[in-house]
Amino acid sequence: MLIFKLAFRNILRQKRRSLLTGLSMTGGYVLFVISISMLEGSWGNAVDIFTLDHTGHIQIHKGNYVKRPKIYETIVDREEVEEALAGEARITGYAPRVYSPTLAYSGDKTSPAFLIGVDPVLETSVSRLLLKVSDGTYFDAAPNEDGYSQAMIGAGLASKLKLGLGDEIVLIAQGADGSIANDIFIISAIIGNKTSFDRFAVYLPLSAAQVFLSLGATVHEYAMLVSNRNHNEAIASDLQVLLPNLTVSPWQKVEESFYRTMQSDRQGNHFSMGIIVFLVFIGVLNTVLMSVLERTREFGVLRSIGCHPLGLVKLIFLETQMLTWLSLAVGGLIALPLVFWFAQYGILLPQPIDVGGVNFQHMKGEFSSLVFFMPMTFIVGAAALISLPPGIRAARILPRDALSSH
Amino acid sequence: MTKLIETKDLCRSFGSDETLVVALDHVSVTIEEGEFTAIIGPSGSGKTTLLHLIGGLDEPSSGSVTLSGINIAKMPGRQVSDFRRDHIGFIFQAYNLIPVLSAEENIEYVMLLQGVSARERRRRVKEMLKITGLEGLGKRRPAQLSGGQQQRVAVARAMASSPDTILADEPTANLDSKTGISLLEVMRDLNQTRGMTFVFSTHDEKIMERATRLIHLHDGAIDKDERK
Repeated sequence: MLIFKLAFRNILRQKRRSLLTGLSMTGGYVLFVISISMLEGSWGNAVDIFTLDHTGHIQIHKGNYVKRPKIYETIVDREEVEEALAGEARITGYAPRVYSPTLAYSGDKTSPAFLIGVDPVLETSVSRLLLKVSDGTYFDAAPNEDGYSQAMIGAGLASKLKLGLGDEIVLIAQGADGSIANDIFIISAIIGNKTSFDRFAVYLPLSAAQVFLSLGATVHEYAMLVSNRNHNEAIASDLQVLLPNLTVSPWQKVEESFYRTMQSDRQGNHFSMGIIVFLVFIGVLNTVLMSVLERTREFGVLRSIGCHPLGLVKLIFLETQMLTWLSLAVGGLIALPLVFWFAQYGILLPQPIDVGGVNFQHMKGEFSSLVFFMPMTFIVGAAALISLPPGIRAARILPRDALSSH
Repeated sequence: MTKLIETKDLCRSFGSDETLVVALDHVSVTIEEGEFTAIIGPSGSGKTTLLHLIGGLDEPSSGSVTLSGINIAKMPGRQVSDFRRDHIGFIFQAYNLIPVLSAEENIEYVMLLQGVSARERRRRVKEMLKITGLEGLGKRRPAQLSGGQQQRVAVARAMASSPDTILADEPTANLDSKTGISLLEVMRDLNQTRGMTFVFSTHDEKIMERATRLIHLHDGAIDKDERK
C-alpha cells in the first residue's frame, strides 16, 4: 500500500506537468476509441449492407459451389440441413435458394440475366428483398389463375427489356438434367434501382425455379443470419461438424476478396493510429525522464536504504501505469457517451448512400468492448514500454553519485 | 568487545592521470560493537568517502571493508543492497527524507523493503517516534517539520531496520548548535541504552566532545586515532 501511496504522490508532485501528460493520454485514448468505433462501425455497416442484402452471415453449399458454381451441384438432403439449422438457437433465420444464368426475352428484346429462386416467405427472414421492391407487390409462391408463376425483376433488366408490372417475361436456361428450360413468367414487382447489384436479376418463387431448372426438391444454397454476426465463424464451424458432407462457409469465405480488403484497411488504420499514440507517448517518455532526472538524489537515498535497482524500475513503472489508468478512466468517461451517440445516431451523411435500392443516411460507429479495450490495451502496453528506459536509468544511478547531486 | 567494522589498506581515488584525486590512502581501521565514533577532519579529508565505503555506497579502488565478518567490497549489487537494508542505517547531512511521504511513512518504508509485517511496522514506527521525541508529528510531511525534527525522523528511519551500525555523515551540519547537540544526545542515548554502533563524521568541536572515539583524517589518511 505504501508503495502505491508513494507512486501516487509522486504523480501529484508536479501537478501541472502530470495534468498535461494525463490530458495528452486522455485525448489520445478518446481519439483512438472514436476512430476505432467509426472504423469498425463503417466496416460493420458495409458488412451489414451486403450480408443483410443477400449474402447472409453463413451459407451452406454442396462441395465447392461458392468458387465453382455448377447447376447440378445441389443439396439433396434438405431435411438434414433444416433439422441442423432449426436446432441451432443462434440462427435467427434461414432460406434456401437456387441460381442459374438465363436469357430473358420480351418482344424482340433479349438480355442476359441471372435467375435466383427464393422461398418468398423464408427469404424475408434473411435478406432485404421485400424492402427492395420499388414498384409492384412482393411475389407469392402460387401461380396465377392462368398457371403462370410470378417473377420480380431488377430495374436494369426492366428498363432494357422495356418491361412493366403485369408484363410477361420469357426465360431460357439449361436445366440440371441437360434439357433446355424455357417458360413464361408474369412480372409482379420491380426490384431496386439501376445501380443495384441485382439490377439484372430475375427472382422466381423457389418451387417455380426448381421446376424450371429441373432441380426437383434440391437447392444450391442455404443462407442464414445469426443473432450476433461476430460469432458467425464459430457457428459455421459448429454447423460444419453437424453437416460433414456439405460446405458451411461464413461470409468471410463467401466474400473473401472483400474480407481481405477490409482486413488490410483495418490494419492500415490501426498502424496509423499506433503512430499517433506513439507520438503521444514520446511526450509521456519525456515527462517520465524529466521526473527521474529531478529525483536523482532521492533515488540515491532509496538505494542507500536498501531499495534494489529493480525496485526503482517497479516504482517508475507503477507511477506511469497509475497516470495511464487515471487518464484512461477520464478518457473512458468522455468516450463512453460519445461512442454511444455515434453508435445510436451516427453522423448524418450529406448525400444518402443507395445500396441495392436501400438508402443509408447515417454513418454510425460501433459500440462494443473491442472499441474500448483495444485502444486501452495498446496504451497500457505503450506506457509499460516507455516506463522502462527511465526505470533503467534510475536503476543505474549509483548511490554515491546520486547523493552528491542536487 | 566484538569487531564490527574493519577496513584494510582502503584506497579510493577519483579521475585518472593528471586529474587523479586520492580521497583515501591505505586506511586501516577497526571499529568495535557499541562504539560511538566520530571521524573528524577538514573538508576534503575523506570523511564522507570513508563512510560511503563502509556503508557499501561506493566501491574501493583497492583494499577491503568488512562488516560483521563479511567483505562488502566484493559483493554484487543486489546483495550489497540487501546488506545495507538489513545491517546499516544512514543519516545524511541534508536529511534526505522522501518529501511526499509523512514522517511515519518515511520510517516505515525501510521496513517495507525488509518485508516486515504491517502490524510490526506500525508498532516499530510508534516506538521510533517516541524514542526520537517526535510523538504527535508522525503525520507531518518533511516540509512541515523543522530541520531538527527532520533529522530526528532520519535517525528514526535509520534505526527502524534494526541495523548493526548507523553511519551518519555530518548529521548536525545543517542544524543550529542547540538542536545539533540535542540530536546528538538522542544518538548517544541509543548507543548507550541499545548498544547501537554509531560512526559519524563531523567538524563541530562540541559534537566531537561527546564521541567516545575520534578518528582524525587528513588528506585521506588516518592522522590520529584516540579513544576517550
